Amino acid sequence: MKNTMTSKLILVIDDEEPIQKVVGLSLKMEADWQIICASSGQAGIHLAEEHQPDAILLDVMMPEIDGIATFERLSNNLQTQGIPVILLTAKTGTAEKRLFQKVGVTGVITKPFDPLTLASQMAKLLQWRL
Amino acid sequence: MAFDNGARELTFWDEVIDTHPLTASSQALLPRVLTKLAARPESSCVVVLRSGRVVGVVTRQDLLKAIAQKPSWTKLRLAKVMSHPVITVAQSELSMVASLMQRFEQYQISHLPVLDTEETLVGVLEQKRLLLTSNDQSAEILIERQHQRAQLLAEITLKIRQSLQLKEILQTTVTEVQKLLNADRVLIYRVLPDGTGKATSEAVKDAYPAVLGMSFPEEVFPEDYQRLYAKGRVHAITNVHDPKSGLAECLVEFIEQWGIQSKLIVPIVHPLPPHESPMEEPVEKYLWGLLIAHQCDRPRRWSEFELELMQQLAAQIGIALSQGQTLEYLEERVKLRTTELTQANIALQQEIQDRKQIEAALRQSEEQIRLITNNLPVLIAYVDQQQCYRFNNQAYEYWLGQDPSRLYGQPISTVTEPSYYKTIQPHIEAALMGHQVTYESELTFEDGRCHSVSVSYIPHLEVVNTGEAQINGFFALITDISERKAIERMKDEFIAVVSHELRTPLTSLHGSLKLIATGRLGHLSDEGQQMLAVADESTDRLVRLVNSVLDLQRIESGEVTMDACTCNAADLVKQAAETIQTMAQQQDIHISTQLEPLSIWADPDYIVQTLTNLIGNAIKFSAPSQTIHLSLQTDETEYSGSANRSYSPGAALFCVQDSGQGIPADKLASIFERFQQVDSSDSRKKGGTGLGLTICRKIVEQHGGTIWAESQLGVGSRFYFTVPLSRDRVYALR
Repeated sequence: MKNTMTSKLILVIDDEEPIQKVVGLSLKMEADWQIICASSGQAGIHLAEEHQPDAILLDVMMPEIDGIATFERLSNNLQTQGIPVILLTAKTGTAEKRLFQKVGVTGVITKPFDPLTLASQMAKLLQWRL
Repeated sequence: MAFDNGARELTFWDEVIDTHPLTASSQALLPRVLTKLAARPESSCVVVLRSGRVVGVVTRQDLLKAIAQKPSWTKLRLAKVMSHPVITVAQSELSMVASLMQRFEQYQISHLPVLDTEETLVGVLEQKRLLLTSNDQSAEILIERQHQRAQLLAEITLKIRQSLQLKEILQTTVTEVQKLLNADRVLIYRVLPDGTGKATSEAVKDAYPAVLGMSFPEEVFPEDYQRLYAKGRVHAITNVHDPKSGLAECLVEFIEQWGIQSKLIVPIVHPLPPHESPMEEPVEKYLWGLLIAHQCDRPRRWSEFELELMQQLAAQIGIALSQGQTLEYLEERVKLRTTELTQANIALQQEIQDRKQIEAALRQSEEQIRLITNNLPVLIAYVDQQQCYRFNNQAYEYWLGQDPSRLYGQPISTVTEPSYYKTIQPHIEAALMGHQVTYESELTFEDGRCHSVSVSYIPHLEVVNTGEAQINGFFALITDISERKAIERMKDEFIAVVSHELRTPLTSLHGSLKLIATGRLGHLSDEGQQMLAVADESTDRLVRLVNSVLDLQRIESGEVTMDACTCNAADLVKQAAETIQTMAQQQDIHISTQLEPLSIWADPDYIVQTLTNLIGNAIKFSAPSQTIHLSLQTDETEYSGSANRSYSPGAALFCVQDSGQGIPADKLASIFERFQQVDSSDSRKKGGTGLGLTICRKIVEQHGGTIWAESQLGVGSRFYFTVPLSRDRVYALR
């Protein structure tokens, strides 16, 4: 795991383009991380295989392949299974949080997130130092 | 027949003795005997034999009397009417006529069977023939009178038997007696209870005045005389003018007006009427009246025969009176009984009518109940203590394909799937313990589809004589809630989708505003900054509102289940306090805790959420530098502020106390309802959603606890809630 404050490459998988833009700008401004975005689970898996990002920020509710299914595919993919995944979700219920933790993701950040602290929240979950 | 007493004697006895008498068995029926007699008009009797031996004699008069007196004479046997024991004469005694005559007189008989030395019947000696043959005139008269007496008695007896009409009997008696005695007047004198009397029946010759219907004063027949006659006195007066007659002069004068010269008086007595008779024997007899014969043309010496005849007839009248009174009594009883029966019948008819009306009302009521129960879109049943169906409405047929008449008396366990019965058995048992039960379940209907149903069991309690309530069974109401459930699911899905769809653009909006607010994307004017702050705060509030709506929807829909476990209640309070510490510091609010180490049975995340919500509210409504007190204690701890509330024993009591503005008393109960803030402007001012306390209440209730608030305006509020203690209630902190 990369845990030094070198520039990180983060893959954002979210079907909402505005979210992609806010997350991208937020991480760029706060931590100077590089962002690549995918609008579906399938596209995200390809980008992950191709670019081997340092972490993946994965939306849960997406059409076709949802976040949980995408995570399972990434976990079962030898090329991507080592990449930490943080779920970005509007599902904030206690029971849902328990479910997400159970499937083995690195962490869960709920929407709406604070763009000023998103990078630090991620760093904390990934045990990176900003 | 041969006699040994010489030729003259033989001639005499041949004339006197009937050597070929009629004989019959003692078991012979009377009609057969009468037939024999009819064939032998010269025979005046029948000798009764048993095994060839003479056992009795029956005369024509005996038979006539039996026919008159016994209504069922055709079934009578000879043994019942014969004279017995029989008086006989030996053949060797026939030479002594005087001795034979004496024997007839002594035994008051008319026939003597003659037996030989072998005790065999050789003939019958008849008194009448003996007397005629010996030329005795007085004997002839005697025989004639005996015959008349027997004839009259038989005739009157027959008439009495034939009639129960007393008046007719009495008239017959006086008429016949008058004729027989050739008396000038014969009458029945009725003795009335007040001592007076009245002639009620009379037979009188035309030459003499009638006394019929006349009333006589008491003096005519004083009480002393009445007593004597009641004892059976018979009074025969040859000549009323004879001083020896013993009649008072005034009485003689009194009776002269009817030309009476001689009279014969016999009493008519009979037992007291049935309804007046004492139950004990002997039955008292009383003087009912007198049978009186008058001779007006001359003084008359009344013979023994006439006295006896009058006495026997008076006795017959007595019998007739008894019969008549018995009849009268019976008729009265019949009348009374008829009246009673008529009344009973009327009452019965009324009862039948009432019953019919009740039955009709019941039928109508039952029809109405059936109409209602069969047309209601619910399953309705009544189940007894043995869990057997006692009533099912028609919906059982329509919905489940189960015929109510076949379900009657069947145990539930035999008409439901074993697996389904297992799920409902605890509810059935609870209902039969007297608890009202409501639960939701799923039933497969006849159409093969699974329907959601709401089931209610209502115990049937009946107060018994001891005053205690007895559980006879329970009523079951099962409602199809499939449509409601579908709508609820649609609503839940709608809320979930809408909330998510709201949250997604909100996230972008919220993030964008935050980034702009940093100023690193370009500076805004002061007004621009202010507007940006307004947009930011509103966005925050909108996010919280959407989150709360989602939370509430999840809890209410049952989508969320409380994952209870044993946990340290004090830790949960501390965790909540830490979570909200930043907010408290920003408001300059202090948080103090007083916590008992308690172990509770709860879902820790939801308890923290509840506490966080309550503490957050307390912070919002507290002034800077004020302190919020958090406490945790068991239910045994006395707490004066909660005197009007009750919480279940074995619970942990959480309390969040602030020193804020307080809540008006009339709002305390409603603040846990949706969007029921004390002041809606507060909500906006404090950034609340109006759903926080509702969510708290739902969470606490799902834990089996209670939540409530106490407050005093200007002093502050206390929010309490209880959560069940775990079995090891004091958490092992050590």
